Amino acid sequence: MSNSTQSHDKPEASQQPQQQKPPVLEEDDEFEDFPVEDWPQEETEQASGSANGANGHLWEESWDDDDAAEDFSKQLKCVLDPSSSRC
Amino acid sequence: MATQGAPVLDRFLSGISDIIRNRDGSKLQDFLQIEPPLSDIYRQMVEELRRQYPNGSKEADLLRRCEGLVPRTKNGSSWTAFPTFMKLYFTFLRDVNVDNLLETYNLLKGLVNQYGVIVLPTVLYLSKVLAKLAMGLDRRPELIAHLLRMEGHSDQDESIEKVTLVEKSANVVREAFIKCLTDRSGTPGVHGKPEGKRVGIYLMANLCLKLLFQCGKLRNAEQMFSSISAQSPPLKYFPASQRVTYLYYLGRYLFSNNLFYPAQIALQSAYDTCHHQALSQKRVILTYLIPCNIIMGRFPSLELLQRPEAEGLADKFVPICRLIVRGDYIAFREHLAIDSPATEWFARKGILLALRNRCEILVWRALARKVFIHGGFHGEPQGSAQRGPPPFLYLHKLETAVRWLQSQHAQSLHGALSFAPSGQPRDAQDGRNEFGSPLVYKLPDPDFAGVDEVDGPETKPDPDLMSKYEDFLTPDGSFDVMGQWQSNPPGVLVDGQPDADYSQYELDPYTHRGELDSETEQGKPTPMIRELESILASLLTQGLMRGYLTHKNPRFAIPGARLRGALPTGFPNVWQTISARESEDDRVPGWVQPPPPMAGSGLAAGGGRVVNLSGARPVGVQ
Repeated sequence: MSNSTQSHDKPEASQQPQQQKPPVLEEDDEFEDFPVEDWPQEETEQASGSANGANGHLWEESWDDDDAAEDFSKQLKCVLDPSSSRC
Repeated sequence: MATQGAPVLDRFLSGISDIIRNRDGSKLQDFLQIEPPLSDIYRQMVEELRRQYPNGSKEADLLRRCEGLVPRTKNGSSWTAFPTFMKLYFTFLRDVNVDNLLETYNLLKGLVNQYGVIVLPTVLYLSKVLAKLAMGLDRRPELIAHLLRMEGHSDQDESIEKVTLVEKSANVVREAFIKCLTDRSGTPGVHGKPEGKRVGIYLMANLCLKLLFQCGKLRNAEQMFSSISAQSPPLKYFPASQRVTYLYYLGRYLFSNNLFYPAQIALQSAYDTCHHQALSQKRVILTYLIPCNIIMGRFPSLELLQRPEAEGLADKFVPICRLIVRGDYIAFREHLAIDSPATEWFARKGILLALRNRCEILVWRALARKVFIHGGFHGEPQGSAQRGPPPFLYLHKLETAVRWLQSQHAQSLHGALSFAPSGQPRDAQDGRNEFGSPLVYKLPDPDFAGVDEVDGPETKPDPDLMSKYEDFLTPDGSFDVMGQWQSNPPGVLVDGQPDADYSQYELDPYTHRGELDSETEQGKPTPMIRELESILASLLTQGLMRGYLTHKNPRFAIPGARLRGALPTGFPNVWQTISARESEDDRVPGWVQPPPPMAGSGLAAGGGRVVNLSGARPVGVQ
């Protein structure tokens, strides 16, 4: 049961890029030299990110799982309270 | 002098002479090519060199020729090394045998060690070739073997520590770095702008760091970072490519020293200031920025993972985030176990151990939180006039959950017995351990074989004992944690074949069970409760949970939860907790910032830190 939720979501998410994934991925361990020496602020990732309308929301701080209907939580609930009506 | 039949060499030398007169460092670098494939004109010059100045007899002539290149002024002290340098360059071109990479390497090393200011671009260029060569050699063990054999014969006294080619090159580049850093022309130190040789500080540092990371000698970088902190001009005065590269290596260095917060600042800044089209570099930065944030409780957003540079990273990191949220510590450990297929990539990137060791506490927090949600006392209902106890969680509820997890994973092991590598979900079996940790699987140590038998509950299958304790030693079956009956094959010793003589011990096989079952409620916790207690204590000291533990009648209590509710009070946001604590000191060691505008005042001496005295009490008040 421990893998059921993962294996459900995964194929759907990664179906499209699958064909051309492996070769691009692996040989980039090194930090390559930049082809240009310097660039202005406008050409940085930060500037282009905000120019594209992306709001720069890079990180999720609140990820605690409060979904009582989720599989794992439901089972845990039954383990902790076997008398519960829904077990 | 040599006039007949050396037109290319003559033109080359007069060109060098012009360059030196104009003090044009980048043109000099452009002239002094060494890396194959060399153009025809260089090959012609090499021919001329071999003819006019063959190896051995005409060395002195060649040097004299080179001495003619530099101005003969009295104050031209920085030029004294140049003729030697040029002669080495010509010798290199003349004698280099591209097949003999070792010789190439040694000649290059000689070149890099000699230089003055204008030669800086050349030195950088040579260092880069050197680095490339050393790293190339590192990947071709057959050439290394040859080198090591040579070394073994020639200098035996060097056998104290084996230094790899990459590390040697790193040391060569570090010498160049130190020459850049300690240049005293202009205004040195943190108040100066990059002038003179100091323009090369970060170019050299980055190259050296690249080599040190390659050979895994990160410890050698420590001295570099501290001398940069002490003597370098601020990083912001250097070109973007150098800043980004340096912050990337600095971030990785801090990461590998478990300084995740400053590492995150350095890596985030490297990512933000990276050129937006530099996908490969952005991707490498993210490879470290993402785990750095995960460890501090901040997960990559969908927006970040959908960027082109993050392609494939979601497959690596999202499962880890899911496992943290889920709270299944066994699944988490299995996912990052040594023999798990997922680990190879993390190990190669050097982030496996950090993720495994640092994220598990987050998994435990998630589990404790879920157990509290479903099995804790959440306090008196809102608006109730009664002032009851604070919200709390009995630790035995957590124990129940852990035993359930263990049984779940043990079952999945049996279910897929033929597929799973032997003993994979080991942690699942630890709930049955009578000794050691009930939560952490440890391989039995052969040195201690037999120790268990002295105090162990095992019994010799003595007919007398068997008749007495048959129902214990060979039970028909047992109930598992879920209350399911599991029957045993008849007559099998469930605890294995006892091989020690226990007749001298008066053994009551029920003692242990009795302790576990009946006395737990009386305040004698099981070993598992003890261990869970220490895990929760760790969460409390790290601020990842808030409240207190009671040792007798083990509970985790959450006082002061009336206003905000039990969950937000007892299980505060991980990232907010960590960043609030760490951001008290935003300085990143190794990252030189411009001095504050009020330099010289008392503030600068104190590092600009404000001491918060709100919690201080007046003298004499208890």
